[in-house]
Amino acid sequence: MSKETFNQISPSEFFYRNRDLAGFSNPTRSLYTAVREFVENGLDACDQQGILPDIHLSIKALDPEKPDPKPYVLTVKDNGPGMESKHIPLAFGTVLYGSKFGLKQARGMFGLGATMAILYGQITTNKPVTVSSSIDGKSLNEYEMMLDIQKNKPVIIKHKTIQTNKKGLSVSITLEGDYSKAGAKIRDYVYQTSLITPYATISFDDPKGEKFHYKRIVETMPPPPTIIKPHPHGVDVETIRRMIVDTHYQIPTLDNIMIDKVRKELNLSKKNLNFEGIMARAEKKWSSLSRPVRVIVAIMSFLQMDFDKIMKIRLDDIDLAHKRLTYWDFGESKSVTIEMPKSNPYYKQLANTVQGESVVSFLTKRFQRVGPSTALKFAEFAQIKPDKRIGALTNDELVQLSDSLQKYEDFLSPDPSCLAPLGEEPLAKGMEQFFKPDFSAVIQRSASAYSGFPFVVEMGIAYGGGIPAGKMTVYRFANRIPLLYDEGSDVVMQVVNETDWSRYKVKNESPLVIVTHICSTRIPYKTVGKENVADRPEIEKELKLALQFLARKLSAYMSKKGLAEIEKKRSNLYQKYLPLIAQFATELAAKPKEPAYKKLIKDLNTNVEVKQE
Amino acid sequence: MSKSNKSKAEKITAAKRDSLIELLKMEGAKIYNDLDKGQFPQFSVPSRSVSNIVYDKKLKQYILGKAASLRSSRNMAQLRSFTQLIWLAFFANRLIQEKKSSTLRDIYYSSQAFEIDFEDQPESDNIIVDLEAVLARPREDFHIFPEERSSVFGDLTIEYTVPGYEGRRTNLSDHPDGYLIGPSLSSAELVDTSAELVIAIEKGGLFTRFVEEKVDKKFKAIIVDTAGQAPRSTRYLLKRLREQMGLPVVILTDGDVYGEHIAMVIKSGSANAAHLRDLTVSDAKWVGVWASDIEKYKLPTIPMTESDIKRIYDLQKDPRYQEGIWKKELEVFLRLKRKAELEAFSKYGLTNITDKYLPEKLELAKSL
Repeated sequence: MSKETFNQISPSEFFYRNRDLAGFSNPTRSLYTAVREFVENGLDACDQQGILPDIHLSIKALDPEKPDPKPYVLTVKDNGPGMESKHIPLAFGTVLYGSKFGLKQARGMFGLGATMAILYGQITTNKPVTVSSSIDGKSLNEYEMMLDIQKNKPVIIKHKTIQTNKKGLSVSITLEGDYSKAGAKIRDYVYQTSLITPYATISFDDPKGEKFHYKRIVETMPPPPTIIKPHPHGVDVETIRRMIVDTHYQIPTLDNIMIDKVRKELNLSKKNLNFEGIMARAEKKWSSLSRPVRVIVAIMSFLQMDFDKIMKIRLDDIDLAHKRLTYWDFGESKSVTIEMPKSNPYYKQLANTVQGESVVSFLTKRFQRVGPSTALKFAEFAQIKPDKRIGALTNDELVQLSDSLQKYEDFLSPDPSCLAPLGEEPLAKGMEQFFKPDFSAVIQRSASAYSGFPFVVEMGIAYGGGIPAGKMTVYRFANRIPLLYDEGSDVVMQVVNETDWSRYKVKNESPLVIVTHICSTRIPYKTVGKENVADRPEIEKELKLALQFLARKLSAYMSKKGLAEIEKKRSNLYQKYLPLIAQFATELAAKPKEPAYKKLIKDLNTNVEVKQE
Repeated sequence: MSKSNKSKAEKITAAKRDSLIELLKMEGAKIYNDLDKGQFPQFSVPSRSVSNIVYDKKLKQYILGKAASLRSSRNMAQLRSFTQLIWLAFFANRLIQEKKSSTLRDIYYSSQAFEIDFEDQPESDNIIVDLEAVLARPREDFHIFPEERSSVFGDLTIEYTVPGYEGRRTNLSDHPDGYLIGPSLSSAELVDTSAELVIAIEKGGLFTRFVEEKVDKKFKAIIVDTAGQAPRSTRYLLKRLREQMGLPVVILTDGDVYGEHIAMVIKSGSANAAHLRDLTVSDAKWVGVWASDIEKYKLPTIPMTESDIKRIYDLQKDPRYQEGIWKKELEVFLRLKRKAELEAFSKYGLTNITDKYLPEKLELAKSL
């Protein structure tokens, strides 16, 4: 019988084996995904620092004569804040290292994709990644690195520091790609990204020598999103468990390092005070003490021990329910249990630390938009005592808490300040510039939430002008990322298709563009490919309301346009027929010259143009 | 013929022509003046809708009531038809001035040269009727004729008035096929005849037979082929034969409900031409083939179709069919539900109809 072997794999090994999940399934898709990851990282970096982005993307074939798929060099430069030299190897040379683990909206969720692209480049071409960064616009650090996949560690091949005059980050990888197949998608991506990021200048040099340049249309950036606390509806049991572990505290180990720490914080490194002296000093410096030191001081106060004595015992148990403290005395070689006097001012401190906060204070401090009265009402709903310490919750109670958090209806809706919608004005300006329409309208709906995740729907509609007739075009965006694949099953398409356009005087072949942008801390994508949004009823409703609002505006415009067209037709008709009538009447009446009928036509000509308000 | 010695025919024709030209000029001047004043010109067009067509018992024909509608160039929906109407007046004026004639079809095609955009010939035909209504003159007066032509044969001398033929005379018994009742014949002056009777016959085949059998001589008759429903020029000729030459008119049709109505239209006009008055021969006599003749002469018959029967019911509601043979024969047709053609007499020999039926009927007609 063969023996089964178990071994642990590193994160990079895991992603190496499962690269399909991240969109690196074939040379076509991989090239597109790599472009996306780097461009989005660059935009995110600028967004977070309020820098108007300037992104330059280039793709060059290593050997242009070779048929696709072949190795390409992909370089993305941004003018963002750059990255500190010491973080670069870890950020680009390991998987799961990054700055995007908070709860706010960003294009990429974890900065994972960039490392995946580097990984993919390495395994298909065995070429290193080059990262250069300048945070001050003076010196530039350039790294040439490979990934040690099994160890999930960067291998630095070259590192140099040179002078520069530009801030920002530049990443360059070599990867196998198929531009002849991916090109159209990549160009679409760059085009649409520019549409939803009108405050950015984006340029793209493609491998065939074509240059695409999208200049900044607006000079102001939307306010950056802030990191916020989670909404009660948006957490599961595991998240709550982690939050609780965060707030309550393990009793620190009483070892030499710990004792040194206490001495240091009490500023006793040189002096040797007795018990009373230590307590007096602790009381004086209490507010500046760290939590572990406070715990040790509290324990010392119960035990009435100084440093010498306390170094001869081992803490075994602190039973707060029975106010008992048990320790092993090495000198006496026996276990001792003492009562912890409730009157002792340190008792409460210890209890708080060990058991964590009460349920009410946990809820108000750790979740957004939960005040004390909401927390109390919720505790009643969940049938958990409001002053119960969360560290003392049993597993069953935890599940009960988590379930109740999901079920309780009266929490305020989530705070959308973590979202970064583009805003009506930039969207409108972007659409004007891109489509040059006869009519356009935009709307930003106010924030809503699904399952505790806040989201905002923005939408724009444009008609006529530079838009070609044919079928209407729908541009879908989620968190400022264009969604280019799987259009058919997207909730936006569903809403657009379910709309009875004839009600709004819009025909099937109308020159119409719809732009939708869904911002959320978590977009409910249908698939790992992140190209289509699932039909959550809350999102569907917001999309519908936005579309109806815009369609009504369009309809009003169409009515006016219809009137104008009738008016114009009328004018044309008179211009054609009145001269004929005059000509025939002149001959019939045997007059020498035509009657003065032209004033009639002139009067008709006024008021035939309809302008958009 | 000298100018100073114009014939009576020429004088009548010229007078008629002048009055029409004057009428057209007046209409034109009205429109001209409106335009000159910066106003939208309009026509008053007598309504030809069913509700405005009434039967005049005194005149024994349909006439238009007093309802009229304004066709205004201000109204976008009417602008095109307004233009069509004035174009037609303009075109008719030219036809008259230049002494040219035209057909309904020719009008439709001529319009294209002026960018008048008639959608089809029925539309242009309809505008022609509008102009007739506005001027209260038949289109033949402004030289517009239908394409289809009926014929006439018999001892009748006419004098042409058309350009190039003025004063020239022809006798209508000169040609065994008969003469087409076209523009030149319609406008010709009737000069002389030895005939004492006009026989209008529905069918070209029988017309030829009548010529061959010398019905014109045997019965001192002028024979007119109406070619089915008589065109207006034919009805106009019949009227003139009745009025100017004093000849009684008898009508011979197929033995069916349509034949009966062909006779009625000659006698009292059609609703379609209710705006015109000069097209009826109110004392014309329908001599057959009657429904009762089918039984009397034991003619071979064919069954009526549903639409034949429906037509009987329709005519029974018509005020002109409320008395005499008109009423009686409809009832017999309805009872028989069978019909017979003029050719049915061939059963008794090719000349039976002229030898036997016609004399009997003409005799009978005197008592009608």
